[in-house]
Amino acid sequence: MKILVPVKRVVDYNVNIRVKADGSGVDLANVKMSMNPFDEISVEEALRLREAGIASEVVAVSIGPKEAQETVRTALAMGADRGIVLEAEGTVEPLAVAKLLKAIVAEEAPGLVILGKQAIDDDCNQTGQMLSALLGWPQGTFASKLVLGDNGIEVTREVDGGLQTVRLSLPAVVTADLRLNEPRYASLPNIMKAKKKPIDLRPAAQYGVDLTPRLMVLKTAEPPVRPAGRRLASVAELVDCLKTEAGVL
Amino acid sequence: MKSSSTSDLLSRFAALVGPGHALVEEADKARYLVEWRDLYRGETPLVLRPANTAEVAAILRLAHETRTAIVPQGGNTGLVGGQVPIPGQHEIVVSLERLDKVRSIDPLGNSMIVEAGMPLASVHAAAEAADRMFPLTLASLGSCQIGGNIATNAGGTAVLAYGNARNLVLGLEVVLADGRIWNGLRQLGKDNAGYDLKQLFIGSEGTLGIITAAALRLRHRPRGVAAAFVSVGSPAAALGLFARAQAAAGFGLTGFELMSGLAMEFALRHIPGARLPTAPAPWYVLIEVSSSLSGSEADATVLDILTGATAAGEALEAAVAQSFTQIDDFWRLRHGMSEVQKHEGGSIKHDVSVPIGDLPAFLEEAMAAVEAAFPGCRPVPFGHMGDGNIHFNVSQPVGGDRQAFLARWNEMNAVVHGVVRKYDGSVAAEHGIGRLKVDLLAEVKPPLDLELMGRLKAAFDPLGILNPGRVIRRP
Repeated sequence: MKILVPVKRVVDYNVNIRVKADGSGVDLANVKMSMNPFDEISVEEALRLREAGIASEVVAVSIGPKEAQETVRTALAMGADRGIVLEAEGTVEPLAVAKLLKAIVAEEAPGLVILGKQAIDDDCNQTGQMLSALLGWPQGTFASKLVLGDNGIEVTREVDGGLQTVRLSLPAVVTADLRLNEPRYASLPNIMKAKKKPIDLRPAAQYGVDLTPRLMVLKTAEPPVRPAGRRLASVAELVDCLKTEAGVL
Repeated sequence: MKSSSTSDLLSRFAALVGPGHALVEEADKARYLVEWRDLYRGETPLVLRPANTAEVAAILRLAHETRTAIVPQGGNTGLVGGQVPIPGQHEIVVSLERLDKVRSIDPLGNSMIVEAGMPLASVHAAAEAADRMFPLTLASLGSCQIGGNIATNAGGTAVLAYGNARNLVLGLEVVLADGRIWNGLRQLGKDNAGYDLKQLFIGSEGTLGIITAAALRLRHRPRGVAAAFVSVGSPAAALGLFARAQAAAGFGLTGFELMSGLAMEFALRHIPGARLPTAPAPWYVLIEVSSSLSGSEADATVLDILTGATAAGEALEAAVAQSFTQIDDFWRLRHGMSEVQKHEGGSIKHDVSVPIGDLPAFLEEAMAAVEAAFPGCRPVPFGHMGDGNIHFNVSQPVGGDRQAFLARWNEMNAVVHGVVRKYDGSVAAEHGIGRLKVDLLAEVKPPLDLELMGRLKAAFDPLGILNPGRVIRRP
């Protein structure tokens, strides 16, 4: 079985992002870009399934600018077999991404698509679900555990207040949650091997999908600064503050 | 201080700072009196929290007039007891924490004037807001204060590329022992007009004056950073790797940390979520390379170093960070290394340096020496290999008695420092002298050094009211 793993190039999780002065978005000049952390988890899961002999090939695919090749290269350095990059400039919204992924699924015929549950830049949490609907495949979202058996795949889902286990027939779409696994570090030999692995770079436009965004960003703003705490002298003063300033009593 | 006039005097001091900033209640004073290694418990009649330089000056004027001993305190992260008031000595603590403002910042001139009580992390943030960086980085980043960093000439993990605190200070404002304010807040790249007085206060540990503000040297932020976690067979292999890394990265080599296998075991056992990035090995190295050009240049340099080191047999295995998160993961193992030793019973510390080329021989000899003298003890050396500075800490034997082990602190020190001196190293590489090493300093320093230090102390603090008994013995 082949596993397809979509990976997104996003602002590194540990970068302190800054909003552009005109509020049109986030300043990305000279900012470190890395693989979406949830996608690292899906790459790891795919690699584990291959190492367990369940999958035969792991293909990483990214949609974005030319530099998305670096992100795919990271997946290859972790151990994925080959990569595909569909080149597209500017914002590509989840629906367009899902349509492009559907086209890739048609070409590659994977038995399983594992995506991160959401990307940390736009926090949409839509692509996996949309892809499942477009393909007419079952979906297991927010996965914290995968067990492949003869009757398909059991997905343990992180839901409000607990865990839910669903069984899906294959082929299927799974989205990875934080606790699914801990992604491996890229070792030196694997990084060197990854340099020689093929990445197929194609224009996204060749798939005839309308990539025009349907949403317009009206404004981007920094979160309000949290005022510093202060020390009060007595319980009476606290009660007074809760009544007059906070208005909660 | 005479006990009959004590309360009078304390009221006079208290009147110099704003209401609520003269602390006398035990509960309020508590956090100024303990330090995290728990070697010292302090005692003080009064903690003062002045708001500005003028208030610090007023405090010292009064202290001078009344011969009252003053203990300046920053973030209280010192590791040698310098900042903790000595029980029975009636020393007044002056906390600089309210002097926490940026006075000015000049990105084009790469300098910034800040007050002494600013936490180092806030200094970093202020520099970053101006698209610059202040390189000094220590594990206690969030709590330590810049004034204390300068007063102790702090080192840390960025020394290799950017130097100690001393190299990052352009000028100082200092309140002298008699309360006069010395304004040395210059921002000059060159200034040979007479003695460079600020240098005397840097590393003086509060014994010559109280630093109230500093002009700091800023740097451009590198555009790219790459890091690798490498397993190596021995310190000698690590030394080969270090030479290779320096050759390839030049000034871009911003980190080179050595960690022993056992130190790493402790880290993995006690840091939540910690994982070893390679297979277990006798020693590990963390390499960080920065590039002023790009992340890909930094990555390429790291790969070049590792490829060569693997071929030469210096590196056993290596993981290369693919994101800032992974770089942080690597550093978290290193930064957590002191903290985790607390969970392994008593630990006897040595903050030593030797010439870098002698480090492998030093480590081999020192480890053999302590294991022979203290059977079952567990040496866990780690530190800034690039600076020749190793935290040669020794944990107690498994299941042994903590107090009995710690009671042999001086004996252990003698063994380790004996090896250090054989290599003409330093017994106080970056943590300073404080109270912990006063006797040791008197023992290892030539008489002429001690005489000159004593004369400086007498010149700057003739009454001996500034942090008395720290660094050098009371006259």
